Amino acid sequence: MLTTFRATVEYLAGERDDAPSFLTGRGEWVVRCLVWMAAILLIYAFCGQSSKFIYIDF
Amino acid sequence: MIFNTFSYYFLFLTPAAVLYRVLPSWLRPWVIVAFGSGFFLYFAYDMAGVWGAACLLIFLWESAVSRLYQPASRWCLLGLVQSVILLGIFKYWNFFTGLVFLHVPNPLRWQSQFLPLGISFFTFEFYHYAWDRREGKTEAGTLGEYLAFILFFPTMVAGPIKRYQDFLPKLRAGHNVSSQDWERGTTRILSGLVKKFAIADLLTAWTDHLNVHDILVADQRVLPFWALAYGIKIYADFSGYSDIAIGSARLFGIKVPENFDWPYGRRNIQRFWQCWHISLTRWLTDYVYIPLGGSRVSPPRIYANVIAVMLVSGLWHGAGLNYLVWGLWHGILLAIHRFWRQLRPEPNNHPAVVFLSRVVTFVLVNAAWPFFCMDLHSASVFYRRLLFG
Repeated sequence: MLTTFRATVEYLAGERDDAPSFLTGRGEWVVRCLVWMAAILLIYAFCGQSSKFIYIDF
Repeated sequence: MIFNTFSYYFLFLTPAAVLYRVLPSWLRPWVIVAFGSGFFLYFAYDMAGVWGAACLLIFLWESAVSRLYQPASRWCLLGLVQSVILLGIFKYWNFFTGLVFLHVPNPLRWQSQFLPLGISFFTFEFYHYAWDRREGKTEAGTLGEYLAFILFFPTMVAGPIKRYQDFLPKLRAGHNVSSQDWERGTTRILSGLVKKFAIADLLTAWTDHLNVHDILVADQRVLPFWALAYGIKIYADFSGYSDIAIGSARLFGIKVPENFDWPYGRRNIQRFWQCWHISLTRWLTDYVYIPLGGSRVSPPRIYANVIAVMLVSGLWHGAGLNYLVWGLWHGILLAIHRFWRQLRPEPNNHPAVVFLSRVVTFVLVNAAWPFFCMDLHSASVFYRRLLFG
């Protein structure tokens, strides 16, 4: 179960190329769109308080 | 800033990735060189003015000297020495001369010292290329290919630290960049920005309290939460940064090394370091730990080597005694772990033990972050208040 959870999170975050088996098929595009929309919403909601990335000054 | 600015996406990443996708493959390295140079000039000038931008000459000089590298040649030694000297002067001059003149004003202090953009990362790539050319582990490539390697702007400023022999085949691959590359790359960039904005920046409200004044007036019970907040923040910040770098590289059809693999869930400190800033750990293993003798020497030497590597890691993170203490802390933990592994080679896989070891590793890693984010005096005040009230 943990392996499936990890694979799902990594796929949704763009780290993996292959979707977990329960996400493949017609619903895959819907899920991708939802992820992009959620990400854009979160970025819009929280941007503006931005600070420097910590490792930039290294 | 850089990855959280519009300039990065609209002036550099998108036009470069589009041109890279549509132009013939022989022109692709030069697209990276042109946009990489523009990227460096733009952001280096923004951060350090004309002298910062002039540091582009470092890349040009390095690429000229790199054409002389041959297996077993002395030019490679020159390349190694010049990359160390470069980093030493720009990053550590004031630190080391300050140690020499500890109790008097430092007459050798470089008043207008500045750090060239990404110097800690690009010098590691210079060093890697010179070393591997000397050992005959990588081919020279053309000037354009080498320039594209060092000026590949998604990874130029803060990694992941690439290897030339991994990068070159991807640059040369004639296939077109696919729609899947763009979809996965964009998703990765978005998830990196979410980590930065929605987690890392949000925790700044807590981590900003990590200063002497706030520590002295705060309730003792909140101090562990501030340290924990910094632990989560630095993970979200740097893994978010790495996500954006890896996603940006993917828009060019290039897969660069991963930097994080769920580090906070690991059951011992060695596994933590195999999963935290992976490209740095591998670099230090290949170019510091193994040349020191690696694991082929006597146990006391192995422990000394492990601690030495972590001291180098600490000093690489910053020119300050606090970073040295942070590195020493991790070095000692790694040495203790190795010692324990010698006594009991087979790990205990009982679920309760596994769970407990994950918790202990997490706590030990987070306990050291105050050394990372504050100077030595402030960190010592933090621990004094945390432990003794």
